[in-house]
Formats: sequence, C-alpha cells, structure tokens
Amino acid sequence: MWTSTQIPHIVKVAMTLGLGIPESKLRIIAPRVGRRRRGDDLNPKIVDGQVVGGVIQGIAEAIYEETIYDDNGQLLTSSMTQYGIPAASEAPAVTVGRSVTPSTTNELGVKGVGETGTIASPVAVVNAVIDALSPLGITSIERPLTSERVWRTIQQAQGGEAR
Amino acid sequence: MIPAAFDYERAVSLDNAVELLSNHGDEGKAIAGGQSLLPLMKLRLARPTVLVDIDRLSELEYVRDAGDHIEIGALARMADLAKDATLRQHNPLVAAAAGEVGDPQVRHRATIGGSAAHGDPAGDLPSVLLALDADFVIRGTEGERTEPAATFFKDFFETALQPGDVLTAVRVPKLAKGTGWSYQKFHRRAIDWAIVGVAAVLERDDGNVKQARIGLTNMGLTPLRASAVEAALQGVEATSDAFRSAAEQAPEGTSPPSDTNGSSEYRREMSKVLVRRALEEAASR
Repeated sequence: MWTSTQIPHIVKVAMTLGLGIPESKLRIIAPRVGRRRRGDDLNPKIVDGQVVGGVIQGIAEAIYEETIYDDNGQLLTSSMTQYGIPAASEAPAVTVGRSVTPSTTNELGVKGVGETGTIASPVAVVNAVIDALSPLGITSIERPLTSERVWRTIQQAQGGEAR
Repeated sequence: MIPAAFDYERAVSLDNAVELLSNHGDEGKAIAGGQSLLPLMKLRLARPTVLVDIDRLSELEYVRDAGDHIEIGALARMADLAKDATLRQHNPLVAAAAGEVGDPQVRHRATIGGSAAHGDPAGDLPSVLLALDADFVIRGTEGERTEPAATFFKDFFETALQPGDVLTAVRVPKLAKGTGWSYQKFHRRAIDWAIVGVAAVLERDDGNVKQARIGLTNMGLTPLRASAVEAALQGVEATSDAFRSAAEQAPEGTSPPSDTNGSSEYRREMSKVLVRRALEEAASR
C-alpha cells in the first residue's frame, strides 16, 4: 500500500558573491518518518541512511547533475568525469529530525521513507540560494546551480548583461 | 572508458627505465601513480603502445633539504608532500597545493613527477612549480640535465621531456621568512580539475611588493604566469587596493578553454577574483 511521505526540509546556505557558488556551505535538516503506530522506526539506521542519501541526491540535482549536449547533439557529460555526481567530499552535514504522525489508512500505521530526502532537498536548496540572492532582486534561477550560472544571474541582476 | 591495448614493462632501476623508454621512442610512456595518464588513456586521448612502470623505483621517493633549495624526488606522493615537515617549514606552498589535488585516494597514488611530466595545464602542481621558478632534473640517454620551469612546459600536454627521458626530481626554492604564499583552487567537486587555480608567491620589503610571482592553472595550453599582474605589483605598496587593481589584469595573455565546467569568459573573470584572493592570502602570511 502506498502512503505519502512528509518532507519539510530546512536549508541554510552561505553564498560567496564573488564566485557565485553555494560552496557546499549547506546545512540541511530533514525529518524522518515511517514509524509504527507505537514504538520506533522499523529500522532506524536504514531510515537515516535512506534520508541522508536522498538529501544528497537531491543536492546533486540542485547543484551538480546536468546532461549537456553540443550543437551536433553529442552528449558532453557522458562520463562520471563530466557528469557531476557528488561524493563524500561534497556532502554537507545532514541533521535528520523526527516527526511522528502515524498513517491512519493502514493497520500498521506505517509510511514509506523512500523519497523523503530526494523530493524536498532540490527545491529547498534552490529556494535557499534564491533567498540568499534576493537582496539583488533575484526571484528565480535555473537548475542546476552551477557556479557559472549563479554568477551570470548575479551579473545580470547587477545591471548589464553577462557578456 | 577502456584504454587501447598496450604492452607493459617494469623498470628495475633508473638506468633501466631510461633504456626501456629510449627503446620505444615516441610509443613508450613512463607511468608511476597513473592518476593523470590513465584517465587520458581511458578516454583514448593518449594511446601509448608501451607503458614503462617506474612506480617501484623507491629511490625517487624523497624530499631532501639540499641547502639553498629543496629537492623533491619525482615519485614523492601528493599525500606525503602535503604533510612533509621539510616542505611545511621551507616551502609550504608545495605542501598546500599537493593537499588540494583530487581526493585522498588520488593523493596517495599521484606523484609530483607525474603531474609535472604530464604537462596538463589543469593540473595543480605545474602552475605552482612555474610560480616558484622550479628546476626540473631530467635523466636521459645523454646523462643528466636540468630545465627551468620557464622552458619546461612547452605546449598542450607537452614538456621539455624527450623520448627516453625520465624526470627524476624537482627543485624548489626555500621561501625566505616573510614570503607570503597562496594556492587558490576553484572547482566544483574534489575530484574535478580546477576550473581556475592561482598560485602566488609574494616577497615584500618594508610594506612594498619586492616581487610577486603568480602561476595560473587551466587558463591556457600550458600553465601560465600572470606576467601583467606581476609587473603591475612591482615596487608598489602591498595593499588590498593595489591587489584588486593588479588582479584585473590576470586574464591578459591567457586563452582559457570552454568546457562543461565553465566558459572561457567565466574563467577569465574568475581568474581576477582568484588572483586577488591569492594575493590577499599571501599578504596575510
């Protein structure tokens, strides 16, 4: 039986305006769900791992991962050298919190946690960056937030086209 | 991601390495840690038909205080250089830059000689060695010679090394007390090459810049010196304003590449920011 997950994330991001990058100074708080009606997670470690891994996958979507083609339709990001999957070095500290609202739609009161991390973190990261840039009047920015794209957005907002 | 077929020979001594490499001429390539060469072979951008493995020539794995300079054996690993006490005391720039290369796995295999011999303009150590005016010790069929950094890096992935040559050591100066230094590496992930990197060595005399030497990573076909910035700083007071205005000339004479990590224009702009930061950090040391 499928039940929806609950996924509020809180992200703090420190920007460096000169280079226009979030520099991985992210702090993320994600809740964990998927509890039995009484008692703890069915398997707390698996739940934590699932949430943290998902959060980082979402960050990858927000900042790193992109399929880029050249004018001839040739895929330029065809290997792990170019396609930006983050590794442990890029992973920020993730604080996993708890929020307990047992499901009322099944006997066990359980919920899935599979996509808890991935669903919210891209949005949360992008919104945090937009919030950081809001003094410049920036209200939207395209994913992924590569350093060059953030820099160009800042240049445009500061008057003048990014050449 | 599978390299073209190649033969493999293991050198048992330095003389043996020179002999094996000279037998194979253009077709042979020395391999040590393989952290630069193997990725290129997997992409088939390099297709040597014979690899001569020099990785076990442990006599080339050292850092030695040679009086007026430090001599670093070609097979010294980045991870060892990063924590080497002699370097940290006399040339902390090399130690710091070595600690910025790749990730821990890469640093435990990658060698300073490999990074230099590869001549990759995106490598961290080449621009550092260029900024330091390092000397390269080369053993070939005709014996030993040294080549200064200014003429060692010839072209894209091309150095002064000829077929049959083995780079055996790199000599870097001892930085005098009060000499500032910095290596600024700007990249997306630890395993990525620098989008732009800047090495700076700053000598001061009574608050004025005596000499600034600045190396640029990934700003052209070879590691480059930011000559215009260096000239602009000569003799001026070492202030943030002076650094900011001189750094504007960082892209002069460069031809940075455009790739999926950044456009050429972006690299030019970032070089200004990073040169300024490098100078400021150097001045704080």
